[in-house]
Amino acid sequence: MRKGFLCGVYVLLVIIAFSPSGCGNGETIKIGTIKIGINAPLTGDIPKVGEGTKFAAQMWLEDIQAAGGLEVGGKKYPVELAIEDNESKAESAVKVNTKMITEDEVLVIVGPQASKQAVPAGGIANKYKTPMISPWSTNPDTTKDRPYVFRTPFLDPFQGPVLANFITEEFKFTKSAVLYDVASDYPKGLAEFFKKAWENLHGPGSVVAFESFTTKDADFSSQLTKITNSGAQVLFTPQYYNEVALIVQQAHQLGWKEPIVGSDSWGSAETVQLCGKDCYGLFFSTHYAAAGATGATKEFIDRYKAKFGYVPDDVAALTWDSLRIVQKAIQDTGELTGDLKKDRNRVRDAMGRIEKFKGITGEMTFTEEGDPIKCAVIVRISDAGEFEFYKSVCPTG
Amino acid sequence: MRAWIRTSTSAFSQVPLLGWLFGALIAVALEHLVGTPLALALGLPKIPVLFGFVIMLKKPILIPSAILYVLCIYVVPIGVTTRLSISRTNRLAAELFRSPIVISVAVHLALLYAILHMWAGINDYRLLVLKLTLIAIMVTLSLNVINGYMGEFSCSHPGFMALGAYGASVFTVVLFVDDRLFGAAILPPALGPFMFPIALILGGLVASLGALAVAIPSFRTRGDYLAIISLAFMFIVKSLIENLEFVRGPRGLSGQPDWANLPTVFLWTVICVWIINNFVRCTMGKALNAVRDNEMAAEAMTVNTRRTKIVAFLFSAFWAGVAGGLFAHVLGYVNPGTFGIQKLAEVLAMVYFGGLNSVYGAVVGAVSISLLGEVLRPLEIFKWIIIPLLLILVMIFRPTGLIAFKELNVTNLVKPKQNPDEEM
Amino acid sequence: MTFFFQNLVNALQWGSFYALVAVGYSMVYSILMLFNFAHGDIFMVGAYIGFGVSTALIALASSGAVVMPNWLILVLTILFSMFLTSFVGMIVERVGYRPLRDAPRASAAITGLMIGIILQTSTLALLGARRISFPSLIETTTYNVGGVFVTNKKIMIVLVSLLLALALHQFVRRTKWGMAMRAMAFDYATVPLMGVPLNTMVAVTFAIGSALAAAAGILFGVAYPVLDPYMGILIGWKAFVAAILGGRGSVMGATLAGFLLGFTEIFVVMIFPSTLRDLIAYSIILLILTFRPHGFFGEPYSARLRL
Repeated sequence: MRKGFLCGVYVLLVIIAFSPSGCGNGETIKIGTIKIGINAPLTGDIPKVGEGTKFAAQMWLEDIQAAGGLEVGGKKYPVELAIEDNESKAESAVKVNTKMITEDEVLVIVGPQASKQAVPAGGIANKYKTPMISPWSTNPDTTKDRPYVFRTPFLDPFQGPVLANFITEEFKFTKSAVLYDVASDYPKGLAEFFKKAWENLHGPGSVVAFESFTTKDADFSSQLTKITNSGAQVLFTPQYYNEVALIVQQAHQLGWKEPIVGSDSWGSAETVQLCGKDCYGLFFSTHYAAAGATGATKEFIDRYKAKFGYVPDDVAALTWDSLRIVQKAIQDTGELTGDLKKDRNRVRDAMGRIEKFKGITGEMTFTEEGDPIKCAVIVRISDAGEFEFYKSVCPTG
Repeated sequence: MRAWIRTSTSAFSQVPLLGWLFGALIAVALEHLVGTPLALALGLPKIPVLFGFVIMLKKPILIPSAILYVLCIYVVPIGVTTRLSISRTNRLAAELFRSPIVISVAVHLALLYAILHMWAGINDYRLLVLKLTLIAIMVTLSLNVINGYMGEFSCSHPGFMALGAYGASVFTVVLFVDDRLFGAAILPPALGPFMFPIALILGGLVASLGALAVAIPSFRTRGDYLAIISLAFMFIVKSLIENLEFVRGPRGLSGQPDWANLPTVFLWTVICVWIINNFVRCTMGKALNAVRDNEMAAEAMTVNTRRTKIVAFLFSAFWAGVAGGLFAHVLGYVNPGTFGIQKLAEVLAMVYFGGLNSVYGAVVGAVSISLLGEVLRPLEIFKWIIIPLLLILVMIFRPTGLIAFKELNVTNLVKPKQNPDEEM
Repeated sequence: MTFFFQNLVNALQWGSFYALVAVGYSMVYSILMLFNFAHGDIFMVGAYIGFGVSTALIALASSGAVVMPNWLILVLTILFSMFLTSFVGMIVERVGYRPLRDAPRASAAITGLMIGIILQTSTLALLGARRISFPSLIETTTYNVGGVFVTNKKIMIVLVSLLLALALHQFVRRTKWGMAMRAMAFDYATVPLMGVPLNTMVAVTFAIGSALAAAAGILFGVAYPVLDPYMGILIGWKAFVAAILGGRGSVMGATLAGFLLGFTEIFVVMIFPSTLRDLIAYSIILLILTFRPHGFFGEPYSARLRL
């Protein structure tokens, strides 16, 4: 008798266990606040990137709070940020995205920054039909075949040719050398696109040295010796600013006198601070030029500088633009229904409808894939250590 | 107070494992049924995701509600049901115990799976954490074979995981996924889930093959030199994958199909625990311990040390490879940067926190470090001060880890804790 | 030919860092048979302390209170930082290692690893995420010797490293303290019975090891003036390789192994495509250890290794 009862209870429980769970999904949750998730690398390899993201997000939040909330369809909603640390790890970025989507119930996610986190995290966002915009990821895979994933920066396949063309036109060089980090996806990707573009212009073999090192290396002397001896006329190094300082100084100590050209990852105030006089006169491509900026860009830089004590990196500017795009998309929906699932879809649709957006990093037009088409800026580091606008290169066609 | 604790612990000491599982099942069922209303009634925004710790750290004002919630849903129901059903569950356990052990174990595992399934059913974040925890258990166990049972200090496990992850991913992506990299799927994707075990086994075999590079030098050396050999191996694997352009090098391989669902991961973990437990308890495991304690004496006692070492390395690497394959498919993405020094520190911490030479220890270590990492997330940076501090304290007070040198005896585990004939 | 000599110069500089960190590592390793996984992070802390000390000294000098030329500032920075960092080492030993003296070696290795993480995270939490530029104390002068470029910094770094290694070698060989250390490395259990104060000796060992790490950190700051909280991880692990390769209880062995590691990394890049650097460099190490399983100066494997 007792046994029968026990078995009955057990069977019942198993049925409950395996029945599709009815909690949480599709339930109407009253929207009091708009939650926006920030997936940033606060610890790990690139804490500075995480810091820039966090600061830009906080500044944006202040603006919204000062306005009394985000106005959607004539109603003001308070905004809440869920800033989570992805430790600069792919698995952690996935966990963070899942947590923000299912647990914190955010409307939109901004981040992750680096492609190695943005690619898997984008998969999660797409799976749960939550719009995500990565401010910094340049790998084409991040948004590819993912209707819910967007980005703010230009892509590597655009930046590589821009630089190759610029060097060719500016200096009339035909032989170049590349030094990049083989263990990091961004530099490697860009280095390869540059090489392809350069060889298209000057024929195979015109990249006379294609050298690499590994993340966290500090000594590049051997690679630079090879480059110096290769007869290259220009060195292209798409590295992060901490490595830029070391590369440029060591190159000069090894007798390298030709120009060194960089990419948007140079665009940090720390580049000059760490590198000093060695970097003066060098060129790199980026999203905006801090010195001589005008309008909204200058306003952003001045405010950021006043608040946090240094000129914002490109990450901060791009995060700011991403948040503004998110803000515009939310406002474009007209109203929030309170049904999270529906709202996420509406925000995605609104974001997909944005055709032109004038951000502080330039005017962008979005493609089908959710990638922006925007101009790159070539910046020269002046003799006062400031980033001077040199010229603007826009995509053709 | 102390007397009270003693009576209450003794009251629960007779609860068989079946009783605990039963209680936990009641608790998670309760959470399914009344979790949301209760949470809302207590002023919590929703069901606390990881036993209320996250919410406690984020909003200290909600600490009482979170504690109350955990009491209402977990502690009290488990306590009450286990206590009240002692005689029944013991009788049932005795009943099962008389039948073949396989049936008894299967019932326990089914109960355990039901609990995990319901617990993870509340929220997909829980599901992901659970899956990654189960994978961590596999890695920790396999590393325990080398570092615990064989007494070496091997640093190569991230390398084995990477080999397994890439082996399995290449297999599934090439065969079943339309992908820019490898072209169209060769076999119909519907066949995929049935071939998934083959992919994992393939990953494991690739890892075993790689393990030869560490196993062969281990014939002539051990201890410190083997530690750096294994470290060099880890660097080699990472660098090798970074240079393999057909798996996209450092940009990582994405697009793994979503076949690593909870039943699959659970099943593989159970198989892994079962096989490793049998492995370390059979003659081979004793041979491993003999090699650890005194290689020369072991040799003199006719233990074939070379064979023992090579088998241990290949076996351990195989399971690390399987875990790596599951890991890649849970995330749907894998890149060589994941399997570096950070991962090494993580798995070493799990092994030594839990305890050497013990299957229990590996499970405890993997679960506690994984959960701690998630629970302390709201502390941001300070998480990485608290977790190491905890580990140091554990090392100081229990230098061999929390539960070391304890055999997992399945028979003891499932047997009734009270003689059913003697009525209480 | 100049290409080869240029790389030789490069390798000398890079190897001297590995050597200096490995020697510090090897001090602790020899005596306690301990994997001091916190060593790389003590190196990092040393570099930061050096940054603090040199900034303070520069401020003092520029305020005009004391007249100090830059080379004096550098020397003082190295000395002060070595002194201060040695306390960090002793604290690490007291907190993390002493309670585990009789525990399995691997447990102590794990505490070391964890102390390392704490040091990294606290530096990050205290100083924020910005990277710090080490003040350039001496002006870089580049000499062109027949096509080979040598800087004054390079010469200084190699000389200071060799000098410190030699000084340590003499200390271990010639002094009473050194003799006690060697005795402990030989038989850890009996030496305390002969009246050698065990705790003091271990503390001194840690102090010396950490001071060397600090010196390496500052020289690193001079040569590669970008400091960040995670800079010690990779160097620490590589020094671990070098220290063990060099063999137990051998200052010269660790120095040579450090140089060997540096030379391997540089010359592999010289000969092979640089993308394959780690792959080839560590395969070489693996092969060396397969055929010489006890490193260069290590004792042959015996069953009495404590584990």
